[in-house]
Amino acid sequence: MDLGFLPAGLEPYDVLVIGGGPAGATAALYTARAGLRTLVVDKGLTAGALGTTAKIVNYPGVPGPLSGAELVRRIRDQAVSFGAEFVTDKVLRVDLRGDPKQVWGGEGVYPAQAVVIATGAMGRTRRIPGEERLLGRGVSYCATCDGPFFQGQEVAVVGNNDEAVEEALTLTRFASRVHFLSPTADLRASPELGEALAAHPQVTLYPTARVREVVGQERVEGVRISHQGEERTIPVGGVFVYLQGNIPVTDFLDDQLPVGQGGCLLVDDSFQTVIPGVFAVGDVLCRHLKQAVVAAADGVVAAMAVDRYLSGRKKLRPDWSR
Amino acid sequence: MPMLDDNVREQVVDFLKDLAGPVRLMMFTQEFECEYCAETRQLVEEIGELSELVSVEVYDFLADGEKAEQLGVDKIPAIAVIGAEDYGVRFYGIPSGYEFTSLLHAIRTVAAGKPELSEAGVQALAEVTEPIHIQVFVTPTCPYCPQSVTLAHQMAIASPHVRADMVEAMEFPHLAVRYQVMGVPRTVINETVHLEGAAPEPMVLEKLQEALAGTEG
Repeated sequence: MDLGFLPAGLEPYDVLVIGGGPAGATAALYTARAGLRTLVVDKGLTAGALGTTAKIVNYPGVPGPLSGAELVRRIRDQAVSFGAEFVTDKVLRVDLRGDPKQVWGGEGVYPAQAVVIATGAMGRTRRIPGEERLLGRGVSYCATCDGPFFQGQEVAVVGNNDEAVEEALTLTRFASRVHFLSPTADLRASPELGEALAAHPQVTLYPTARVREVVGQERVEGVRISHQGEERTIPVGGVFVYLQGNIPVTDFLDDQLPVGQGGCLLVDDSFQTVIPGVFAVGDVLCRHLKQAVVAAADGVVAAMAVDRYLSGRKKLRPDWSR
Repeated sequence: MPMLDDNVREQVVDFLKDLAGPVRLMMFTQEFECEYCAETRQLVEEIGELSELVSVEVYDFLADGEKAEQLGVDKIPAIAVIGAEDYGVRFYGIPSGYEFTSLLHAIRTVAAGKPELSEAGVQALAEVTEPIHIQVFVTPTCPYCPQSVTLAHQMAIASPHVRADMVEAMEFPHLAVRYQVMGVPRTVINETVHLEGAAPEPMVLEKLQEALAGTEG
């Protein structure tokens, strides 16, 4: 039996980066190269804005065209070559004021001296009609949590990225049929995952499906969609939603950092937030030009500041590393 | 076969090394052990081996019915985590998967007898004079659930009128049906008020007040 216990006694990382897009992965590249023990926690290659961009032609020095996912992968590989570690996990909450700071993922707790937030701006803004009302009554955001409640039933998954596909595949272990409602014609997921989904006998794919409403009185009874020019309601007992939007992803911070208009994070010139040792870079910031090369540059500046912050601490506390 | 491998044992020893006081794990099973009863018993027995301050007592739900009643244990497998006093911290169903962490947290805070809550939270709970029963429904594969379970247990430690249960939904399907659990964590307060998801402390406190207002009205 998997007890899933994750250590609180792990040796803290020097730097923990949340988000492995151009900003986060570049920060990791620089901190790792500076000899700092660096961990990047990321939801997956195609979780963010760059990872889901089909074609990049304007990244300096990389004439392309290449896919955003490929560019992210190259930056990550470069970071790994300097010793950065990457884990695929979803950050659920953080304690930024503790010492060490703690980051809770689905897979465990990651302690670190410094934290760099690079979660981007693909948070959701709008809900589907009926979604909020039926939350916990068939609407869910976690297939591993709630899949067992839908044993033998038909369910719908709404989304198109890696996370949506992985969750849909998890649901096939419980549900008799998974209706996969993708807002786009092509999936924004890695090819392997996309193929696994398309080939799965319990999965029905609906490309370019618009979800109009989650319907049901006391519990979810179906989803109303428009698909290929017609409206229809698919009867399902559960709806799992993994849509993305365009607001900064800060929900896991639980009000530990002040946010500006639109929920973006505020930082100083060195990308440090109001909490010492906590930095933020990339699209999660306010008034930010949303370009990969700008995000990457943020990562560099923040990495330098992290290094200064940590070496300053060492001087203050010579016994820190014991 | 041990349930905890060497690696996990080492981590548990480390996690429990600075316990502030003794903790009793009172586990209820029965002669013909229910599904997961044997595993739950073995799990607490193995934890008991890892700290001198943690003692394990195994009871029979039927033969020791009086004890069960005294502790308010109404289903098995059950674990009551008891410190200097009985704060009302309970686990129903096996605390495996992510819930193993909740059990270890419960042991540590019960040992200390001091809740890890905000000042406002401690204050609000000190003012509670009516009985509150918090049930947090979970599945072992839910990474968000321990947050809700641990918060509920902290509230039980903070007030003598609050008791808090982790309930593993798959093991008690009749309760999952009764409380309409279709997603976890789902927190049910005094049968009447419910809350979806891993809500932060202020939100749970608000729901607690709502439940109390319901009892008065």
